[in-house]
Amino acid sequence: MLMFKRKPVKTVLVCCGTGCLANNSRAIYEGLKKRIEESGARASIRPVTKATGCNGLCERGPIVKIQPDDIFYCGVKATDVDEIFERSVLNDEIITRLLYLDSSTGERVKSHRDTEFYKRQHKIALRNIGEIDPASIDDYIERDGYRALEKVLTTMSPQEVIDEIEKSGLRGRGGAGFPTGVKWKQCARVDVFPKYVVCNGDEGDPGAFMDRSIMEGDPHSVIEGMLICAYAIGAERGFIYIRDEYALALKNMAAALEEARKRGFLGRNILQKGMNFDIEIVRGGGAFVCGESTALMASIEGRVGEPRVKYIRSVERGLWDKPTVLNNVETWANVPVIINRGAQWFRSIGSEGSPGTKVFSLVGKVKNTGLIEVPMGITLREIIFSIGGGIPRDREFKAVQTGGPSGGCIPKELLDLPVDFDSLTESGSMMGSGGMIVMDETTCMVEVARYYLQFLAEESCGKCVPCREGIKQMLGILEDICAGRGREGDIELLLDIGATLQEAALCGLGKTAPNPVLSTIRYFREEYREHIQNKYCPAGVCKELTVFYIDQEACRGCGLCAQKCPLGAISGERRRTYTIDETKCIKCGQCRDTCRFGAVKNRGRRHDNNH
Amino acid sequence: MPAGSIEEGLSQAKEIIGKYPREQRFLLAALQDIQKHYNYLPREALALVQEHFSVPMSRLYSMATFYKALTLKPKGKYVIKVCDGTACHIRGSSLLVEELQRLLRIAPGETTTDGKFSLETVNCLGSCAIAPVMVINDQYYGRVTTAAVGKILEDLEAKE
Amino acid sequence: MIITIDGKQCEAQYGEYILDVARRNNIFIPTLCHSDALPGQGNCRLCIVEVLEGKRRRVVVSCSYPVKGEVEVLTNTEKIRKMRKNLIRLLAAAAPDSDFMRDLQREYGLEEEERFQVYRGEDCILCGLCVRACEEVGIYAISTVNRGITKKVSTPYAEPSAVCIGCGACARVCPTGSIKMKEENGRREIWGKTFALLPCPGCGKPFITREELAYVQAKTGLEPAEILCEKCRQKRAARKMRDVFKDVTMK
Repeated sequence: MLMFKRKPVKTVLVCCGTGCLANNSRAIYEGLKKRIEESGARASIRPVTKATGCNGLCERGPIVKIQPDDIFYCGVKATDVDEIFERSVLNDEIITRLLYLDSSTGERVKSHRDTEFYKRQHKIALRNIGEIDPASIDDYIERDGYRALEKVLTTMSPQEVIDEIEKSGLRGRGGAGFPTGVKWKQCARVDVFPKYVVCNGDEGDPGAFMDRSIMEGDPHSVIEGMLICAYAIGAERGFIYIRDEYALALKNMAAALEEARKRGFLGRNILQKGMNFDIEIVRGGGAFVCGESTALMASIEGRVGEPRVKYIRSVERGLWDKPTVLNNVETWANVPVIINRGAQWFRSIGSEGSPGTKVFSLVGKVKNTGLIEVPMGITLREIIFSIGGGIPRDREFKAVQTGGPSGGCIPKELLDLPVDFDSLTESGSMMGSGGMIVMDETTCMVEVARYYLQFLAEESCGKCVPCREGIKQMLGILEDICAGRGREGDIELLLDIGATLQEAALCGLGKTAPNPVLSTIRYFREEYREHIQNKYCPAGVCKELTVFYIDQEACRGCGLCAQKCPLGAISGERRRTYTIDETKCIKCGQCRDTCRFGAVKNRGRRHDNNH
Repeated sequence: MPAGSIEEGLSQAKEIIGKYPREQRFLLAALQDIQKHYNYLPREALALVQEHFSVPMSRLYSMATFYKALTLKPKGKYVIKVCDGTACHIRGSSLLVEELQRLLRIAPGETTTDGKFSLETVNCLGSCAIAPVMVINDQYYGRVTTAAVGKILEDLEAKE
Repeated sequence: MIITIDGKQCEAQYGEYILDVARRNNIFIPTLCHSDALPGQGNCRLCIVEVLEGKRRRVVVSCSYPVKGEVEVLTNTEKIRKMRKNLIRLLAAAAPDSDFMRDLQREYGLEEEERFQVYRGEDCILCGLCVRACEEVGIYAISTVNRGITKKVSTPYAEPSAVCIGCGACARVCPTGSIKMKEENGRREIWGKTFALLPCPGCGKPFITREELAYVQAKTGLEPAEILCEKCRQKRAARKMRDVFKDVTMK
């Protein structure tokens, strides 16, 4: 018999995550869509164009993928649209120059799966992102969407659902890593109704955007996760609290809720199984503290987002004093997969104490910035040097900051630390929501600590004394140190006040507020001492303590620094050497960043004093 | 989007508030909608909110000063937000702010006297991969340099 | 149930706050933002204590930690004293001219602040009692505004409040004397608003604002002649008591 093998329909996936959108990917999407639609006659089977969520590799965006051939184009420009259409959509050619360039081997790689960036990743929470059109519920359903909901409603009791989640060992991805199954169990036990299910999408850690990507790129996975919990604890109403700044996430989530309602996944008598549940979106008001669960609930209730004393937990008395389960976006996105594939499967990934994967936003001084999902237990070295490709300009790695303002800085001695909830906490940092900010030798750790305290000074709710007054005074001391006014005893005082905050502050924000200071003192005490005793900032960041000069031996006279200097403070002759006029220099460091020969150096203020 | 002005009257505010049931939990949403429409919270509109939701003015004022999405002063036609998230910070966002301050002669949180530009530093916008990031109204600018700042402002001025 | 506080066995009800149990048993725990009429704010954190529950030992604020089991409470360990000292040091920098803070400073052996930035002029420590008191009266003239280190207590737009009745409840509960209330020539000035004071029907001394009188009347249904100043009210109460006593003894 003759088999007619139909050529599969080509799908052109254009990344429309925020990173790619900022690089004009919308025009590329519109362009490709238009060409494909106009070409109806020429193509035997009309290809499909989809605008997807973030692919993660924002560094090389905009990204266009062509399926089923698994072609991965990066750095695409609007002017490439015609060529892509002619050669790779209508025909099966590959445009080599648009393929991913592996910086370590210098080779072009066709499929994203073979790139160093994606090879070590394991996608669970991000399973659909970049592969589906977030606006299409059919795309989600096609990839097992709402199958887990169907499974729990038809074959599992609420208790069995809770058991499964508990057995999986899933821990809350929002920060502290509380076991999700235990939370559900505690809430299910309370015999008070109504109960609520809440999704924390108020992602506020600077340097973290995993929740944003999930809400933008795969909103149904969050909805399905919440539905499964609602079934398990017996809730009929849910809320998703989304940062108001996340316009696309708000839009995509609202559209997804509407679609889910139309298809009978939300509303009354869901899937004809008698379950009632619906979800409302609440827009965040722009307050970092609202990531704290009790503050978030106060905000949903229409009040100022101040945390409350938490000796009675939210699972007993949460939103409107009713039993409430609150999890973050990434946690919810994990739930349907666990139900579909089972707790055993989930446990087989990651580490003993922290099963599964974690999404990180890998940013800062690293070559491949972007969003990654890796199995727990992977080392920091693998993340930063294999996936991230190392430090740009091959500068020296100095530290990685995890956990946002609640976390800390981990130094290079701990690069082989396995990444999971417990080891990060032990190191004086924490998992947090998953921001991973890489810092190199040009990052000043004292200034980083000052930066986080400045952030917290503005973002603390200001209600309790240790947090408000403690941060204020610690910030003042750090400002002094950065400006050359540091005194003997400052380090000890910071440690002392920090310890008081950790125990005496009202909520999680205040208790963890000193972490950036304490962890940088723990690992970079010498740098603090340099600032205080020698009035010297080794990284050349603290302006009062920095004096840039050009090493006449090293200077090759290329003149790039003089071109870059915004104030014309650098003068010299090409092919001879250049010098910096210190009276004009504002210490922006652009000359140092530009110089390829490392000739721009910082001699600090101490020399002014000593010589 | 250019926002409505208070001179147009408060019918818009009434309409916005009227969409919401008189329950406290819709208070923040109503305030956000007013903010979006007028680019700030006009006093007269707050009085309408007070009436609709039967809440004390002190509570409203407390909320309006607590949440960063809400402001009591009118903002400029172009709101320039410089991200000061960690990734942007270590890639030099403060230099961008300094440059903008120099060019616009306003400090963060202020608006130019002609009402054209407002300058703000904002928390992480989640676009760390293209840091440092600047957003003007809804347009994102990635990997901004101090040199590019002047150019972007010039382009906006030219549009006028 | 029985809980142990600093070695002393104390009878406690389920859900009762540790601070209340301690006070009843004459165990002193310092507080700032707590007032018997307006309890459990948990803002100042001075009332921290250590709680031993099984193997768990943790620091909690006694004004809002409910007794749920037979725990052991330590109110004055070295750790607690050290943290309390830090809290007082922080507070004293925020309210350097308040007698209350000075006394505490002295009590905890703290010297004049040298390293912290000292903020003079306001003496407000944001305990929140004034806002609570105003709400309790039912006026809602003041609230906290802003957040973080710029948080403060204010009327809307920092203008004389349209609803303030000048009762002065806020000033009376303020532990640091931060709320300025001035009385002169039968006038009271508070929160930038001036009120005329009416005389007490008992002694004739000016004591209540017209606005407060109207508010009390509307709320209680009392006649103006029945609304007396604090002193006259106490006198009247004492007289009533004496009359009752007289009645009893005569029988």
